Amino acid sequence: MDVMGIAIKVALLTAYAVIGTCVGLLFMGIGRKIIARVHNRVGPPFYQNFIDVAKLLSKKTNISHGWIFDLALLFSISGILLTLLFLPIGGVQLLSMEGDAFLVLYLLAIPALGFALGAGASGNPNAGVGVMRALVMMLSYELPFIITLIALMIYYDTTSLATIVRMQSINGVKSWAITMPPFMLAAFAADMALQGMLMEQPFDIPVAPHEIASGPMVEFGGKYLGSLMLYKAIALVAETTLFVDLFLGGGVVAHGNFAFVINFIVWLALIFLLFILSILIAASFPRFRIEQAFGFYWKYEAIIAAISLIWVYILVIK
Amino acid sequence: MGLYIGDKMMKYEEWSKLAIKVSKASLWMLHFCTGCGAIEMPPVMTSRYDMERFGIAPMATPRQADVLLITGYLTVKTLRRVIQVYEQMQSPKYVIAFGSCTINGGMYWDSYNTIKHLEKYIPVDVYITGCMPRPEGIINAFIKLMELIDEGKARGWEKYQKYYDKYKENQRRVFNFEIEGENEEY
Amino acid sequence: MKSIELIGKGKEMHGRAYIEVMPDELENAIKKLKENGFNHFVMLSCIDWLEEEKFELVYHLWSYEVKEHVMLSVRMNRNNASMPSMSHLFPQIETYEREIHEMYGIEFDGNNRLTPFLLENWHHAPPMRKDFDSEKFVGKLYESIPFIEEDENEGI
Repeated sequence: MDVMGIAIKVALLTAYAVIGTCVGLLFMGIGRKIIARVHNRVGPPFYQNFIDVAKLLSKKTNISHGWIFDLALLFSISGILLTLLFLPIGGVQLLSMEGDAFLVLYLLAIPALGFALGAGASGNPNAGVGVMRALVMMLSYELPFIITLIALMIYYDTTSLATIVRMQSINGVKSWAITMPPFMLAAFAADMALQGMLMEQPFDIPVAPHEIASGPMVEFGGKYLGSLMLYKAIALVAETTLFVDLFLGGGVVAHGNFAFVINFIVWLALIFLLFILSILIAASFPRFRIEQAFGFYWKYEAIIAAISLIWVYILVIK
Repeated sequence: MGLYIGDKMMKYEEWSKLAIKVSKASLWMLHFCTGCGAIEMPPVMTSRYDMERFGIAPMATPRQADVLLITGYLTVKTLRRVIQVYEQMQSPKYVIAFGSCTINGGMYWDSYNTIKHLEKYIPVDVYITGCMPRPEGIINAFIKLMELIDEGKARGWEKYQKYYDKYKENQRRVFNFEIEGENEEY
Repeated sequence: MKSIELIGKGKEMHGRAYIEVMPDELENAIKKLKENGFNHFVMLSCIDWLEEEKFELVYHLWSYEVKEHVMLSVRMNRNNASMPSMSHLFPQIETYEREIHEMYGIEFDGNNRLTPFLLENWHHAPPMRKDFDSEKFVGKLYESIPFIEEDENEGI
């Protein structure tokens, strides 16, 4: 590859990362506004999260708890950025390789581990409790999510995300996976798993602010907390995009020269709708205890996902 | 220090102005609930008065917070904790003190165990008068604090850094108070 | 009232039974009341009678069976005041005795948990005694600490 090609690729990757962050922060602000309206409040302006991040990054003192604490945050942000870059956005995938569906699953686990490292380095007992809960939560929602992913892989006979997206976009909306009955079940299970990934209520026990003082983030302040908010914004975009890629054809509806613009807008609308759904669920439910969340995922969600897997297997064999 | 944006260089002072603008619009508070002021906080946070529309949000830990709310009288025992919490916060940090108890002791003016003037031990940026102040008063105090930050007058944390020795001396005096032959005196 | 019949003395006061006992009778009185249905120990309070040079301890008990509130009052001398601990009858008395020891300086023999409780780093006279001059103490301690004034010439 020539130098120019590499430069364009790097510029595009940077643009994706910046767009992902801005979209995430904007969505978080809109989410706060929606939750406020559900509570019959006025709520903050939709750009409040940009202000919050700017304020945190402009704090004058920033207490560190050793080099693991610093590195862990970098670990989380780079892990989630890499995940975002491996996902097809509007049908365009910047980084790709064979079997990247598995790779994305591994990459999604990296931020949680980075989180655990940072919280462990801070030495706060609340952070320890929060990290234990976060890891248990990860273990719980990954089982139904992996089963639905396997169902998709069996049906489309591929482990590449780009292929899954391409095969779903042949006939536009009609060929989306979610239009098929077995994948409706799978999408339900995956959406609940998404709720856990986003750490929204009812699955926000790892960061429960009133019980364990915001859990793993208890010792984060100033620039560290600002970076953590950026991480959360990117994670929001990456996780909803993963769902859109798997079940909603990656938002690809148009083909042709300028199709990218339309696809991009459709992708944005789809992840926004998914996020609104998650926010509305969050605004209407109290939080589960950790063993209730674990039971919910491993009993009901895993069974629903398994039914869809068996159904898909029967379809494929016929 | 500076950074080029477009064709003009942004000076450090301009960046500080931007920092002041954003820190004014996003005040995260930690409410240290002593005394009777704690009961005034839920109405301020919930739908009736809704402080979130000004960008004010409650936080769980001192590391994340910008504003420390002290909602009532302080005994010597709680003062020790308040000072620990205040020193854990990341500057720029501000203190809002509630009610007459923090101003001059209020109805506990002759109590043996209530510190009278909070300002002697940590710097206070805004006082709210009243016993207890109403939720409107609390929101008014936050608006006042925003004005002070904008004008550059809310600099209690700088005062604490500058006169650290004096503040420590005052704190030591109230924690280790001894008088000779005092058992007979009182 | 039932408690007055049980102990054999005392009078009715504002719907409650008020029984004055001697310090050596106290343990048997509480035991007898406890066996006869007064099994809720409400609280232990203390009064400082400065003119009479006495401390008065009041043991409040309640019976759910006859719905009766009884106050057992014990008086002792103000100098070197001490009482046998009753915490073996009702375990919660231990905490009340701890508080009264801290606030009034009364010694409770048999209670080995009379450590500092509510007051922080307190080594003055017990503050709830009537001869403790609170105003003078406040003037000596809190009012004497100076305000920290900013130096106008220096600025920050």
